[in-house]
Amino acid sequence: MTEQELFAPAASRPETGAAAETKVRREKRPVWSMAVLGLMVLGCVLADVIAAKDPAFMDLMNYTRAPGREFWFGTDTLGRDLFACIWHGGRVSLSIGFLATLLSTLIAVVYGSLSGIASEWMDTLLMRLTEILLSVPGLLLTIFMQAILGPASVWTLSVVIGVTGWFSVAKVIRTEVRQIRKSEYVVASRCMGGGFFHILWRHLVPNFFSAIMFMVVMNVRSAIVAESTLSFMGIGLPLEVISWGSLLSNAERALMTRAWWIILIPGLFLVVMLVCLTNIGNWLRMRANRRERLI
Amino acid sequence: MVAYKKSKLAYFSGKLLIFLISIVVLSMAVFAISRLTPTDPLQSYYGERTEKMSVEEKEWAREKLGLNDSIPVQYVRWVKGALQGDFGISYKYKQDVLVVISKRIGNTLILGGIGFVLIFAGSLLLGILCTWYEDSWLDKILCKVGTIISCIPEFWLSLVLILVFCVMLKWLPSSGAYSVGKENDLKDRVIHLILPMVIVVIEHLWYYAYMIRNLILEEVRADYVLLCKGKGLSRRQILFGHCLRNVMPMYISLMAISIPHIIGGTYIVETVFSYPGIGTLSYESARYADYNMLMVLCMLTGVAVIFFNMIGQIINEQIDPRVKASEVMETSEIMEQEKA
Repeated sequence: MTEQELFAPAASRPETGAAAETKVRREKRPVWSMAVLGLMVLGCVLADVIAAKDPAFMDLMNYTRAPGREFWFGTDTLGRDLFACIWHGGRVSLSIGFLATLLSTLIAVVYGSLSGIASEWMDTLLMRLTEILLSVPGLLLTIFMQAILGPASVWTLSVVIGVTGWFSVAKVIRTEVRQIRKSEYVVASRCMGGGFFHILWRHLVPNFFSAIMFMVVMNVRSAIVAESTLSFMGIGLPLEVISWGSLLSNAERALMTRAWWIILIPGLFLVVMLVCLTNIGNWLRMRANRRERLI
Repeated sequence: MVAYKKSKLAYFSGKLLIFLISIVVLSMAVFAISRLTPTDPLQSYYGERTEKMSVEEKEWAREKLGLNDSIPVQYVRWVKGALQGDFGISYKYKQDVLVVISKRIGNTLILGGIGFVLIFAGSLLLGILCTWYEDSWLDKILCKVGTIISCIPEFWLSLVLILVFCVMLKWLPSSGAYSVGKENDLKDRVIHLILPMVIVVIEHLWYYAYMIRNLILEEVRADYVLLCKGKGLSRRQILFGHCLRNVMPMYISLMAISIPHIIGGTYIVETVFSYPGIGTLSYESARYADYNMLMVLCMLTGVAVIFFNMIGQIINEQIDPRVKASEVMETSEIMEQEKA
């Protein structure tokens, strides 16, 4: 049983028995999630327009101010305006999410397809290798990678998260490719002298595209979580580079001063975005499943 | 790798061989990667004094710790020691690695172990509840709330709970496993355990509950359920006597695979709550290049992950000979999403 099947609600699966007639339900497009996510992305892109204040400016007269008329979301322990920080920080968090996912997807597509096409023993070897890498706790791998790449910036952090996050997608791709690699059109393409990347792009990718779409969306989600967690623990972005994670990294001081807004507001934005991404991801998963049933 | 074609002995010795090879490769990988990082291990040995040390002193210290040899030479030396049960000393604690770990591992096992049991029971309960009232408001609310809760990052949930229960209400302590001098006071320990435990359980609960919900939902649509109905069995008899029993092997093997992830995956919680377990220990050792400590901890988690993956595979293969090893590998993919 693959992951998609396991997670799909029973209603979208092929049905047997009496329930089949009454229980067929089309999964609705997650309009609300898409709208909220769109607004948030738009807000981050237009951060300069929305937030008049400079997010990096440390107003030493007004540190740890509660939300009010002057500072809509309050200020943090360094006197930065949280409202501006959120929108500007969202840019960084989102870019890391997308960059990391782009990288991890690329690696996964190449590695998974290679493993899927390769001979039996090569495939076993490649897959065992990923399993072994998976048994090292992800956090430790990230720490090593970060240490090798030097001080954290948006780019290095994206690379770190991308390079440590492709295993599960690669496995799904491998399974899909295993199923179609012997099909006539792939063999025909090979006979006509199509190279690996030609076959990959023209024949394999279109086939497993829908199967990995939801995993890709979920990877954006986990990359954003990884960024915020790493920054919070002090091994991600430094305090000066504003992101949702680094905003939360001086939470210790906020806790001591009972400044709830410093913890709650960036976190809420983070959670809302994650929930939207999850809803969209789940919808994609169900859509991919439905297509399977029609064939 | 089809189980029923081979004898039991060949089957298990094959598994053992793969297990051993995996462990050797794992140890090489961790050894090499950790040493390729530019982090200076002297810093964890000498702490802040490193900055005041002269070049010669540093050289002498490296020689003493055996850090000047090439990586393969160091690896062979480490393996030789490890085979005799000598895993070296921790640079930071200046003690035998095993001694340091044995002091801490209990705390993690308590946190992760009790957490695991609660997750196992809770998810089963929630899953059954959801299927029993499928598509009712209860099921819908549980699904919505579950999705939202499973989206909350672990560290932020910890922060919010600390803010509410430790800072605002002052009900619970925010760090450590016990108050100073109350190491053996059970009540004190339980109080310290509550918040980390709540987080461990909440972070995983819905994930597994949703999984078992979908497993059962698929099962209740199987043809035999109609037969049972025709025979006159009650809803409860069908659900508990037949559907649940059919789902359990799959579920138990999944839970077996997840044991090391839940018990070993407490890094973030332990770090936020400064809980003295092996999570904080491995975080420290990776960050400050406490090589010997790091090796043992990685081997420990690695062995646990590989071992329980195999247990899951074996459970599945033995119960259902139709399942080939490759298919079980796919079920273990589900676990990986969580790690990401």
